[in-house]
Amino acid sequence: MTASELSARSAGPDPDDTVRDLHDEVVALARDLPAGLRRLTVRDGDRAVEVEWATGPAETATVAVAPVAAVVAAPAAAVAPAEPEGTPVRSPLVGTFYSAPSPGADPFVRVGDEVEPGQTVGIVEAMKLMNPIVVDEAGVVADVLVGDAESVEYDQVLMLLRPAGGAR
Amino acid sequence: MIDRLLIANRGEIAVRIARACRELGIEVVAVHSTSDRHSAVVAMADEAVHIGPPAPRRSYLHVPNIVEAALRAGADAVHPGYGFLSEDPDFAEICAAEGLTFVGPPPAVMQQMGNKATARRLMAEAGLPLLPGVVEPVRTAEEGRAIADEIGYPVIVKAAAGGGGRGMTVVRAPEDFDEAFATTRAVARAVFRDPTVYVERFLSGARHVEVQVLCDAHGNGVSLGERDCSLQRRHQKLLEEGPAGHLTPEQRTELGRLAVHGALSVGYTGAGTMEFLVDGSGAAYFMEMNARIQVEHPVTELLTGVDLVREQILVAAGRRLAFRQEDVVPRGAAIECRINAEDPTRGFAPAPGRLEVLQVPDGPWTRFDTGYRQGDTVSPDYDSLLGKLVVWAPDRDQAIRRMDRALAEMRVEGPGVHTTIALHRALLRDPDVVADRHDVQFLDRCLPAVLARAASLDDAAPGLPAARGGLQLVPTPTADPRPDRSTEGEIPCPPRPSLSTT
Repeated sequence: MTASELSARSAGPDPDDTVRDLHDEVVALARDLPAGLRRLTVRDGDRAVEVEWATGPAETATVAVAPVAAVVAAPAAAVAPAEPEGTPVRSPLVGTFYSAPSPGADPFVRVGDEVEPGQTVGIVEAMKLMNPIVVDEAGVVADVLVGDAESVEYDQVLMLLRPAGGAR
Repeated sequence: MIDRLLIANRGEIAVRIARACRELGIEVVAVHSTSDRHSAVVAMADEAVHIGPPAPRRSYLHVPNIVEAALRAGADAVHPGYGFLSEDPDFAEICAAEGLTFVGPPPAVMQQMGNKATARRLMAEAGLPLLPGVVEPVRTAEEGRAIADEIGYPVIVKAAAGGGGRGMTVVRAPEDFDEAFATTRAVARAVFRDPTVYVERFLSGARHVEVQVLCDAHGNGVSLGERDCSLQRRHQKLLEEGPAGHLTPEQRTELGRLAVHGALSVGYTGAGTMEFLVDGSGAAYFMEMNARIQVEHPVTELLTGVDLVREQILVAAGRRLAFRQEDVVPRGAAIECRINAEDPTRGFAPAPGRLEVLQVPDGPWTRFDTGYRQGDTVSPDYDSLLGKLVVWAPDRDQAIRRMDRALAEMRVEGPGVHTTIALHRALLRDPDVVADRHDVQFLDRCLPAVLARAASLDDAAPGLPAARGGLQLVPTPTADPRPDRSTEGEIPCPPRPSLSTT
């Protein structure tokens, strides 16, 4: 579902102010999602907003806010847990994470850096083999969750990316 | 000494090893794939490391991830269990190079025993009896046919690197030899990445008897008695028991002596199994050695009272064996039934799924080793072994009755889930099995009849019918404390006075 479809539907029957506000907030929320929208439920009676979006190949995150008292509070509460999520960059193997190409060198990336597809953002060393960690989509480094020389397990989230522009 | 041990396996054997570690005061590091993240061993472990996706090649067979997990978790030893990396000499060597104690034999010995042709040559040199055939690899069909003509048909063509029932073909007539030779080589190349095959005499009516040995790193070795694993389907064991009651005590002692001698002659350490084929006269022929703990090890544990996994770990830590051969006294009879999530009526197709009901049998001398709990899901990514039901009793007849009682108590339910429980109950009612006169081909030959019996007694089947007569006190046998096997089909005498049906 795209944001424009959403606007056409929920703006329809009863265009009073609170509904319009709700609709605007929901559209903004859908735009701010870190990844593709999977499912969105808006209930007007008790003011429930339920959003589901893709976070990784096999997982979905669900944020449910219900019921909410004020319309303005709804999107804020729904968006808040979404922000630290981002697109995870995961370790493909068990090993030791290195944030820089050599001890003392500048890290591959810092929080706030823009990255391009194919860019190396770290190294996981296993059995004395250096395995570069490469991102496959563009974005901005939102958070680095593993310290230099820390050991990581398979599928552990190393860092989070958020979309480069903001609007999708 | 070992303080923290990583278990490079999953399922029931991982839980079994974790229990031994707990009892030894050793900390447990579990490794798990994505689909096993909530498994029983993960819940038991002091630390668990996620090593890869469900596919074994990228998790339980992935050496770098497992070794890194051991180093990361501060483990000082690795137990490989059975299957997966348990007989991979490279893995054992890498563990050693990283300073990790590998619970198993030295890598070089593992390599030798892993190649059947090499193992046979070494055991022939050690004086163990081998089936007529060649110990050396056979390179051409002509060479193979000449050997077959010399030793006589039927013969069996076997992959040197084979195992698990794959890579062997029985040839009954000379005109079939070339094709069998070519297909076995092709299978061996495809499955084991080694086309080497050898040819030996094929015994019909034979029994599979294996001897459990335990050797320390100081040159001491003991035999812990034998197991009969003749109930196999396509070389996959279904039911194992001990002792091999069809052998005389003298034959069993001699087999144990040969097994220990063979293992020590190649510098074997740890727990291992020497497999023999035994013909109708009791003559035994060495087949191969399994350089690991085996699925059916609990049979021996119940017979001898020796905790094999514990001893394996202590020996790996450099300890001397704490007991001698004369201290090992197998008592009574034990049976193990492999409860697999398979549908025997559909060619034993895996039947995994969520275990909505898992009700495990209990009671006197009844043990169930499993890695699953009610609510867990049997994953299609791994073998279908759901658990092992093992019972002990003073004699074989009582063990059969106890096993039937335990099987009847067991309940496994879930969408799409089927098990081998009814098949085992049918097997234990077969006259040949009850009389202990089945051979290794029995199941392949009689499966339809056994399946028909299984279908007729499904679910609410009553226990075994009462044996002849009422209960009465049986007198103590005078000389040999072992059950008398000479009267085929009769209920053997228990070793001491007890209430028994006669």
